Amino acid sequence: MKDNFRQSMKWFHTWVGLIVGWILFFMFLTGTLGYFYQEITRWMEPERPFIEHNISNEQLINIAQTYLKKNAQDVDEWDIDLPTARNQNLRVGWRHPPEAGKKRGRYESSVVDIATGEKVESRATGGGRLLYRMHYRLHYLSTKISYWIVGFCSMLMLLAVITGVVIHKKIFTDFFTFRAKKGLPGWLDIHNVLSVIALPFHFMITYSGLLFFLFTYMALSTNLQTNEDEYREMRKEIYPRTPHAQSTNQPAKMIDISVLYQQAKNSWQADELSTIEVFAANDSNAQVRFVRHETDITYNPNDEVLVNAITGEMITHTPREYTAAGIIHNGFFSLHEGQFAGPIARWIYFFTGLIGTAMIASGLILWTTKRKPQQMKKPNGPDFGYRLVEQLNIGTIVGLPIAIAMYFYANRLLPIDMADRVNWEANVMFISWALLLVYPAFRPANKAWHEQLQLAALVYIALPLVNILTTDKHLINSLLQQDWGLAAFDLTLLGVGCCFAFSAYKYKALTVDKKTSRQRVKQDKSVGNEKLLQLQRVSKGNG
Amino acid sequence: MSYLLNNINLSSPRWAVFSRSLAAIFGGYALATSSSLFIGQLLLNNVGKYQAIHIGLLFSFLVYACAAMWVFSVSNATKAWICLIKANVFFVVGAWLLMQFTRVSS
Repeated sequence: MKDNFRQSMKWFHTWVGLIVGWILFFMFLTGTLGYFYQEITRWMEPERPFIEHNISNEQLINIAQTYLKKNAQDVDEWDIDLPTARNQNLRVGWRHPPEAGKKRGRYESSVVDIATGEKVESRATGGGRLLYRMHYRLHYLSTKISYWIVGFCSMLMLLAVITGVVIHKKIFTDFFTFRAKKGLPGWLDIHNVLSVIALPFHFMITYSGLLFFLFTYMALSTNLQTNEDEYREMRKEIYPRTPHAQSTNQPAKMIDISVLYQQAKNSWQADELSTIEVFAANDSNAQVRFVRHETDITYNPNDEVLVNAITGEMITHTPREYTAAGIIHNGFFSLHEGQFAGPIARWIYFFTGLIGTAMIASGLILWTTKRKPQQMKKPNGPDFGYRLVEQLNIGTIVGLPIAIAMYFYANRLLPIDMADRVNWEANVMFISWALLLVYPAFRPANKAWHEQLQLAALVYIALPLVNILTTDKHLINSLLQQDWGLAAFDLTLLGVGCCFAFSAYKYKALTVDKKTSRQRVKQDKSVGNEKLLQLQRVSKGNG
Repeated sequence: MSYLLNNINLSSPRWAVFSRSLAAIFGGYALATSSSLFIGQLLLNNVGKYQAIHIGLLFSFLVYACAAMWVFSVSNATKAWICLIKANVFFVVGAWLLMQFTRVSS
């Protein structure tokens, strides 16, 4: 393309990043929120009770088992999710027997109130799950089309990451140079710092993102090399599952799960239990699987303990076997999802995701700042393309966060018994985004930036207040009840609001700064002209 | 129609970028597939059939990325197309020969 390799890669990096930058911004932001999807869901279901601090696992298991015995009598598969730092309520689930002609039955689950032992009736909401699923399952499009669009965008992201490294002669020295407040160099430095600081993350998240749909994207290769049975076998080798007991239709009495739990307690160090799965419940073949929080990036067979629910004996299960390539593949999944992450690692994941989002945003802004001086000189105003990019930047970089806040507003303000409520929460989000994308078309860019930043600050700071007015699960109560997960959500909203308020203030200050300095230059010039005129007059008079 | 055809100027830079983009997207995808076939067949006897295919697939995105970058770095679009086709033919023929070889030996 250009004279040398680095020059062509620079050109390539610019355009690859621009073409899908806004979709990537959307994917990165909603994906980053996914690291806290359980916490978000918890906030969006304010009917659920506060976290209970002084209750033992045995008590919790008993409450869950009583509930299951009452409500899921004739069911084979049960599971119990214990309250954790992330999902703060007791949740039970069960799978109904399959209907005629279907392979698997319907899955039902409910949150159990520890105090009453009854189901908590929550409002219909998509929760954090719907929000984070948007980052690969673009909301209104069909599954297949979104996977291909997401794949195309991820591929361009991978190219942008690789070319970004290639065009950097001095990747480490550049990292330590930061020239703030200088217009173009400022944005370039910000882009560089955000890219370099989390480079391994950017590469990992993009490559592993592509791996999720590896067999969709590269279907031709597997189709040419395997037949249907072989393909199924290959999938089993790559994603192995632990086999579980099947029912024999001979009823038997199970030992209480809280008693069986002693077995798991003996083999683990601390109180780490997270999930219990029961297979072939109340059957002579009944088994209970105790699962603790994932502790490793790769598979750890000690994370689960299998117990015979009739005799109470531990079952030594053969650990799953992974191939070397399978370990790498599943390791990338694990890194992408961060299921193993504890509270601190989860926050680091969250901020690193935000760094990725900000990197994309700074790259998009850089495209316009670089072209601005030239575009402003054009007699008919800036080109259509330039204005389009600028408008999409404003509408996405500030507009999307506002739209996400509107998703939370919809959760609090839409009528509880509204038909199709889950979809309308999402509709509110996308309608707001669409409005904010159109709005900058009718305003000068400077004003649009400033106004949308102000709006973002307003909606984020007002959200916890709306929460106080509409529910009893607001910041004051959650702090009093020491429900840190819930409190952290409201506090994060306030923090994000303050960041937007600060950027709005800073933006105003910077543009005013520029304007006054420009006016001063103009005045100087006009003063100079007057002096010149006087001089000319004088010289004319003399002549 | 003829007016439209006459307006296509094959030497214009826009056409060159378009041609390169097609080469990168479709030629690169073909290369990703053919290279994964080749790697799959090459490693067949060393790591087992399924893992061999899997390793080929794991590399396919990196091959794709490198191919796309390379397409935009060579001096002209025609050269990019010719080299891509050559590489694809090499991998497909290589994979086919390996397939014959394993069939005979097994």
